[in-house]
Amino acid sequence: MARQRSKRARNRLRLALAYGFLTVAATVVVFPYLWMALTSFKPIEEFFTYPLQWLSENWTLGQYRAVLEDPRFLKSLWNSFVVSTTVTAVSLLLSIPAAYGLTRLRVRGGKGVLVMILSSQFFPPMIFFVPFYIILSQFQLLNTISGLVFAYLSVTLPVCTWMIATTFRNIPYELEEAARVDGCGDIRTILEVVLRMSLPGIITAGLFAFVLAWQEYIFALLYTTTTEAQTAPVILFFFLGQHQIDYGRLMAAAVLLSLPIIVPFMVMQRYFRQGHGEGGVKG
Amino acid sequence: MTATAASLPPLRRRRHTWIAKGYLFAMPLLVVLALAVLLPALYNVVIAFFDYNAMTQAWRFAGLKNFVKLWDSPYFWNSFVVTLIWVVGNITLQLAVGLAVALALNSIVRFRGAFTGIMMIPWISSFVVVAILFLWIYHPQLGVLNDLLLRLGAIERPVAWLASPELAQLSLILANTWKFFPLVMITLFAGLQDVSTEQLEAADVDGANPFQKFRMVTLPTIMPSISTAVLLSTIWAYNSFTLPIIMTAGGPLRATEILGLFIYKQAFDSFDFGAAAACSLVLFVQILVVIMLYLRVLDKR
Repeated sequence: MARQRSKRARNRLRLALAYGFLTVAATVVVFPYLWMALTSFKPIEEFFTYPLQWLSENWTLGQYRAVLEDPRFLKSLWNSFVVSTTVTAVSLLLSIPAAYGLTRLRVRGGKGVLVMILSSQFFPPMIFFVPFYIILSQFQLLNTISGLVFAYLSVTLPVCTWMIATTFRNIPYELEEAARVDGCGDIRTILEVVLRMSLPGIITAGLFAFVLAWQEYIFALLYTTTTEAQTAPVILFFFLGQHQIDYGRLMAAAVLLSLPIIVPFMVMQRYFRQGHGEGGVKG
Repeated sequence: MTATAASLPPLRRRRHTWIAKGYLFAMPLLVVLALAVLLPALYNVVIAFFDYNAMTQAWRFAGLKNFVKLWDSPYFWNSFVVTLIWVVGNITLQLAVGLAVALALNSIVRFRGAFTGIMMIPWISSFVVVAILFLWIYHPQLGVLNDLLLRLGAIERPVAWLASPELAQLSLILANTWKFFPLVMITLFAGLQDVSTEQLEAADVDGANPFQKFRMVTLPTIMPSISTAVLLSTIWAYNSFTLPIIMTAGGPLRATEILGLFIYKQAFDSFDFGAAAACSLVLFVQILVVIMLYLRVLDKR
């Protein structure tokens, strides 16, 4: 009896410790974003009070207005949007049939090809610095959206193919065969059975590609030098480059840049929790 | 994952007439990957053996000159060492934090989903935004970290987190750990699901304390996950670029100039394309060595 009781007490202590630790960790995780949001609504005068004034007394949308009235930032947001949607569309268009061919059609060596494709994910981006620069300049693609799309595909294609192949593998072959018995051809089988069943996985892969492209910084920094094609992350960096860093504006811009990632995140979270999220993000 | 082919009824397995068709479906992707990944990667190898003159834009075969130049460059060796510290520091911290959080998550039932979701936030965060957030938090006068520590009385004067050569590397590693620990956490959490409850209970009956239980039961089971997590965080640490370039740009006094930044400067500050390509190969080889070690460890088990 006594032992039982002490065991229960120990368990309760363990639980309390776990929740306590997780609460602290969650605070550390959330705090930077909280601080960003707080800063973005703070009028500039309050930045310089000492000790810091954590909560503003005069909330303002001024920083947001300033950022959203900045034509360079707006243009960069638009560029980011165009690049990300194009990259997503092309990635899906290429990786869905490829994943289908390499998994569902049971080709010899299909698995090996997939592993090779995925392993390119782990190449250091630095090995592409110079060759991409030369190739893009040869084809007059520096400072263009197309050039960025080309560079980004090297990152998104492997992940998308791998993620979609993973979902394709989980569809029972019987369903596909039943469709074929019913007289469906390749294309109809793909559309009506495989795609429909793996739609969540495909959406996740698409969102992943979008987020990768949306937050990409390295290639955008190296291969765009004019506002014509510069994406939002790079323009954000230019807010920093000015002599006097306007942190209020910077934080407002960072909030705006983070917003489009929230929805994809909530969808993808489920996927990550199943432990498929090891593909990763480059940086 | 590979079970599908094996578990199929034998009738379907002979169908290898679809081989050609399968690769036909994959062809567009393979062509684009060849153009966007394979070709540039090979091109990079070629460039490493050439000398580029930025003035005349002429290429000349240089043999091993670029590699010799690296070998003789104190800045390269500085970056080499800084990268090693960076990688080891990141692995250690990410593993410690990731393991602690994974264990805590594994021992609770209520709110597990919510906590997991929150913990994944850094990983999905944009690198630029993370860099800016920590730049702001570390700010010597206006930063909230100094403010907090001053209020708590932990420090007497504001600390220059990113501007002092001694602290800059550590501050960067902490920010990078914030960004990457979820990857380790989720990998280890998956591994923890394989730990057998019977064995834990048996250890309980034998009177083992929690620490012993962890060492004798949990740790051996999650060892494969730990190696995978170490591999992943090593690769990402070697591939780092965005956080350091925004937060310190390699400074102060090159104290945080990891190889990624060194390569960037070689290529786009000095326009020494050959040396940059050569250095990126050196980086690549280091990663390959790590992957080989990992496969070796896996083989042994």
